[in-house]
Amino acid sequence: MADGMTSAPRPRTAGTGGQGWLQPLLPFLGLGAIAVCLPLVGDSYWSIIASRACIYWILVSGLNLVVGFGGQIAIGWVALLTLGAYTTSVLTAGTVTPAFSPYLALALSGVVGAIAGVIVGLPALRLRTFYFAMTTLGFATIVTQIALAWQSVTGGGVGVAGPVFPAPFDSSWGFYYFCLGLASICTWMTANIAASRFGRALVAIRDSEVAAEAAGISKPMLLVVVFLFSGAVAGIAGGLFASLQSYITPDAFTFDLSVLFFIAILIGGRGSIMGPLLGTILLTVLPEFAAPLVAWSTFLYAALLLVIVLVIPGGIAELLDFKNRRPLERHREIIPRPELLTDLLDANRKGTPLTLETITLSFGGVRAIDGLDLELRPGEVHGLIGPNGSGKTTTLNVISGYYAPDNGEVRLNGAVLAPKAPTTRAGHRIARTFQTPRLIGGASVLQNVMIGGSVDGHCTFAEAMLMLPRHLRDEATLRRSAMAALAIVGLDLLAAVRADRLQHSELRFMEIARALMLRPAFVLLDEPAAGLSAEEIRRLGALIVAITRTGTGVLLVEHHADLIFDICDRVTVLNLGKVLAAGTPAEIRSHREVVNAYLGA
Amino acid sequence: MSVTRRHVLAGSAAGVATLASGLARPAIAASEPIKIGFLPALTGPGSSTGVAINRGTILAVDEINAAGGVNGRKIELITRDTQSDPTKAVNGATELTRRQKVHVVWGPLNSGEALAATPLIARDGIPQIDPCWVDTLTDVKKYPLAFRNAPTNHQIGAAANRYVTDVLKLKKIAVIGDTTGYGTASVETYVGMLKAQKDVSVVYQGDVDASNPDLKPELLRMRDAGADAIMPWSVNAGFLSRIINTRGDMGWDVPIVGQTTLGSGQTKALLSKPEYWNKVYQNNFLNCSYNSAGQLVPRAAAFVERLKKANIEMGDTLLWWIAIGYDTPHLIADAVKAAGSSPQDIAGYFNKLSKWPGAYADITWTPEEHNGFPDNEIVMCQANSLRDGAFNLAPGYGA
Amino acid sequence: MIESIVVYGLAIGAVYALIGITYNVMFTASRVFSFTAGAVGMLGGVFGALFINRLGLPVVVGFVLSLAGGALVGVVTEVVTVRPVLKSLEQHLYVLSTLAFALLIQQFTAIMWSTEPQPFPRLLPFGPGLLDQQFWIPVLACVATLVGLELLYRRTLVGRAFMAISEDTYAARAIGLPEQGLRMTSFALAGAIGALAGFAGGEVLLAFFANEPMLNFYGFVPVALGGMGNNRGAVVGGFALGLFQQAANFLVGGIFASVAVFVVFIIVLLVRPEGLAGAAAGRRV
Repeated sequence: MADGMTSAPRPRTAGTGGQGWLQPLLPFLGLGAIAVCLPLVGDSYWSIIASRACIYWILVSGLNLVVGFGGQIAIGWVALLTLGAYTTSVLTAGTVTPAFSPYLALALSGVVGAIAGVIVGLPALRLRTFYFAMTTLGFATIVTQIALAWQSVTGGGVGVAGPVFPAPFDSSWGFYYFCLGLASICTWMTANIAASRFGRALVAIRDSEVAAEAAGISKPMLLVVVFLFSGAVAGIAGGLFASLQSYITPDAFTFDLSVLFFIAILIGGRGSIMGPLLGTILLTVLPEFAAPLVAWSTFLYAALLLVIVLVIPGGIAELLDFKNRRPLERHREIIPRPELLTDLLDANRKGTPLTLETITLSFGGVRAIDGLDLELRPGEVHGLIGPNGSGKTTTLNVISGYYAPDNGEVRLNGAVLAPKAPTTRAGHRIARTFQTPRLIGGASVLQNVMIGGSVDGHCTFAEAMLMLPRHLRDEATLRRSAMAALAIVGLDLLAAVRADRLQHSELRFMEIARALMLRPAFVLLDEPAAGLSAEEIRRLGALIVAITRTGTGVLLVEHHADLIFDICDRVTVLNLGKVLAAGTPAEIRSHREVVNAYLGA
Repeated sequence: MSVTRRHVLAGSAAGVATLASGLARPAIAASEPIKIGFLPALTGPGSSTGVAINRGTILAVDEINAAGGVNGRKIELITRDTQSDPTKAVNGATELTRRQKVHVVWGPLNSGEALAATPLIARDGIPQIDPCWVDTLTDVKKYPLAFRNAPTNHQIGAAANRYVTDVLKLKKIAVIGDTTGYGTASVETYVGMLKAQKDVSVVYQGDVDASNPDLKPELLRMRDAGADAIMPWSVNAGFLSRIINTRGDMGWDVPIVGQTTLGSGQTKALLSKPEYWNKVYQNNFLNCSYNSAGQLVPRAAAFVERLKKANIEMGDTLLWWIAIGYDTPHLIADAVKAAGSSPQDIAGYFNKLSKWPGAYADITWTPEEHNGFPDNEIVMCQANSLRDGAFNLAPGYGA
Repeated sequence: MIESIVVYGLAIGAVYALIGITYNVMFTASRVFSFTAGAVGMLGGVFGALFINRLGLPVVVGFVLSLAGGALVGVVTEVVTVRPVLKSLEQHLYVLSTLAFALLIQQFTAIMWSTEPQPFPRLLPFGPGLLDQQFWIPVLACVATLVGLELLYRRTLVGRAFMAISEDTYAARAIGLPEQGLRMTSFALAGAIGALAGFAGGEVLLAFFANEPMLNFYGFVPVALGGMGNNRGAVVGGFALGLFQQAANFLVGGIFASVAVFVVFIIVLLVRPEGLAGAAAGRRV
């Protein structure tokens, strides 16, 4: 029984180390064993229900990457099921084209689904959440309307017969094993993706798009491949659905079905594979037990969704996540170990300065930056101070590409850095932190840090999906670097903890670890000391200095004058977007205007 | 005289007969109930048909059981609500055939559901009776155990077309359907049938979303094309009432001839003015139509009496729905009584059925033809004459 | 034909515009788009039919009760589905909670009311013909709502408080505005406007549970066209959509009309995501 096809999925979830790899697999193995043994119940009615659960899961597994991981509210995914069902049926029937083998037709509906997935998904690249939800809703309606109207191909309202797969998959249990096999493969593939840099990047754009951009993650590229994959499995699910239904008409593809897929993911929990899998099984099987309630089923799903969103936003996965419910030690101390920096960064790198030339930027008539010149040198800490609204963070945002200056340019190595292109900065080895830490709340601390190394991943989506060697090498390298970075900032013991459980000060150090993952030429720190205790500020200062000693240049935006004057090699004072003064800390300290205007002696 | 009495008498007589012959059979088979698996859509859009048929079906089953069952065996009705959803119909059909191991399946009652469920029921080798109109649902080769005790779409359309072209003598016809499976399929088939006639032209053909609140563009287009009759095909009362209202508001005096729902109480409730229902003729069935003297045929009149006695709601529904629901369990009971309860027994009996006198119609099946409804019992009626779920025959019919 | 396109297009466009305003009023108060906009629109028709046809109440009473019912649903939307998730706005949980609540309303209506469209009462004895009440009542309702809102927002203290909150919630709270109460009031107002849409368009749309997704979609198009929170834009967008849809119905007809509307919607959104009249999104970092 336990041959390749029917064996349970073997997902790899991100643990902390080598040991305990079996534990996260146990639920999958258990579920797989039950699934394989299901025919023993003898009642072949269950073959239909179980096949249906497998087919829905094939679709949901792909949609899960879009909704659960990527956070894109795609509520009309039934459109792709429809498309796949019709493609497979029409090609197999041979009424329009020469008759295809059902397997080939199924594969082709995967291709059609992939293309359609990108089309349905494209608006997500430009539109806000609610707008995107509306467009997917529109697609769901349109596809059904076209199926009705295009009678010569789809049979219109009379529909078409679904494909029948040849022996051994023509019996109901045979077909069930076919579906189960494909469902297992989908589970395995999506689990691989989820544990790869692509999965982490998806969670990053869901929880903090800004942080993702700073790490060099391009949302369009990422979403396009995910929509391709998700569309392909939805198309294949459609082909199987048509076979299970034996005959398809447009009224089989109800919006309720779309709601079921969507809700299964949210009940299961975002960012989980096991949760949505259980959610799908639950929603498919439950109505079979609750026949008297069948009229109320969509009502009950909706009620369940509301309760989940309001009470346990983490869904089933959160309920099952025992690991993250263990209390953390109350009094934790962050003790960075700058001496470990050489594990991660090559010492004595030689870089070139980063220069800002006469940058001007206005927001609706207000000059936020007014002709600013600035030079950041490798191996130095450059302090940027000034009163609120003097343009410090704005300057940082210009450097890291979130704002396009009206005039002037940012240059590195003689080349102009593209304005308004934040995702390009990671490639130039420019890392940053944020005024309010941008954590990826649903991911572990380790994964948060690994995000910082995204640009150093080499494997393709397909390699990650199939767990090919290059992907494994990538992962091993990233994991090693991330553990090193965490050790440097002193958070290595919290690597496996979900990031949203961390204290504020820990998040500040986590962001620095994430920045270090880039092995940065320059790090832009936006008020890293805010909210830290005096002792923590001292340790932070020592860490920053140690970082520059390896050749990295640091731009430090801070209000803590002590820290600035303790560690900076050079300080620039801004006022109303202009340079008020620039020089060594000693020079600034004695600068009359600065003292009057800002230091307020 | 009365259908009821015939069944009751036959039932008790046969009951005695089985008691005698049943001795030879295993005791379990003799006392085991006859399971009828029933797949109505009791909820969801389009459930009014299912609700009405369900009333008739329950009445018949209660009646048979009260009279001692069939050969001493009770009838057990196992109902699965399909919610007008083909996926639920597939789950339900499988549960009935495989888990409940029913002797016969009655339904599904909607075409979309029947198209999906029928191949599965056929594969499991269970006899099936369904009342759906889509032509492809009966096919003695593919589904040798599936029988239809209702007319086919083809028959329905032919009757309506015949009325327009031969009785009303109108030759320029507008055919409109909604965008459901039923609507698009009907329009396609009937337009073809009309076009096949000499000197008849289809001047308008269209499928419109039933939720589209404004049908004036469509009717204007029909009028501009010179249509002198409108033939709507939809089971959606909202859609049909909009066609009737728009015709009325436009002051356009062409007959509307088409689907039975044109005459339903739902449609009536949505009319802007009662008089808009004039010159609307819908499909109906001879047994459920009043002749010029305002009377039903005796068999149907007795059936209505029977319904009244049982306090069955009729004001909000159509008589033929209840009638077909009532006939089917009786038909199954007759088959089991006469032939036995194995699939071969039941199908064998059905294959030789000749003019079985139901409240709804006389059903005839042969091994080659599983469409049992006689052409001549499909008639057109006046929509505005609804009374107790039945209608006056349209002008030009016999009387 | 042209007059039929105009008269009908404006009528249905006014209903879309009112739903658009419903979206906007909720959005202005909370930065949240709610799927219950279509739900209150659908309920406006159902309430009207329930109170006037089924319970036999006078038209005026039925009208007031329908709006009150809409307002109540608005308040519940705020308390149950918006307030609890406002603190984590960037997680977009409101999309899920309002979708869930809208589905609950729709399913409940389908089961308790009917899955078939039910007649809506005739309110006034005008018609039939091009000046039939069913055509001008929605337009009247829409114009009156727009004028009323403009007056409210610009001329009254409460209205200015609404605007202050939409501009900057924290600042508004800091100067002591009862931000939560105002938000709840806004949702009540939005609910009443949505119910007005369904009530005014009742004769055209009937009392039908499936109007909800239809109104959700077509009512959102004016918002997308006119820009978020822009009521005048929504009215212009609503009328434009109504006229376009009706023209498409006349010219291409049937299924292709709805495909045409959808394609235009997508194209407009992709070309100008902020709407034809809206401004680009502000700062994120």
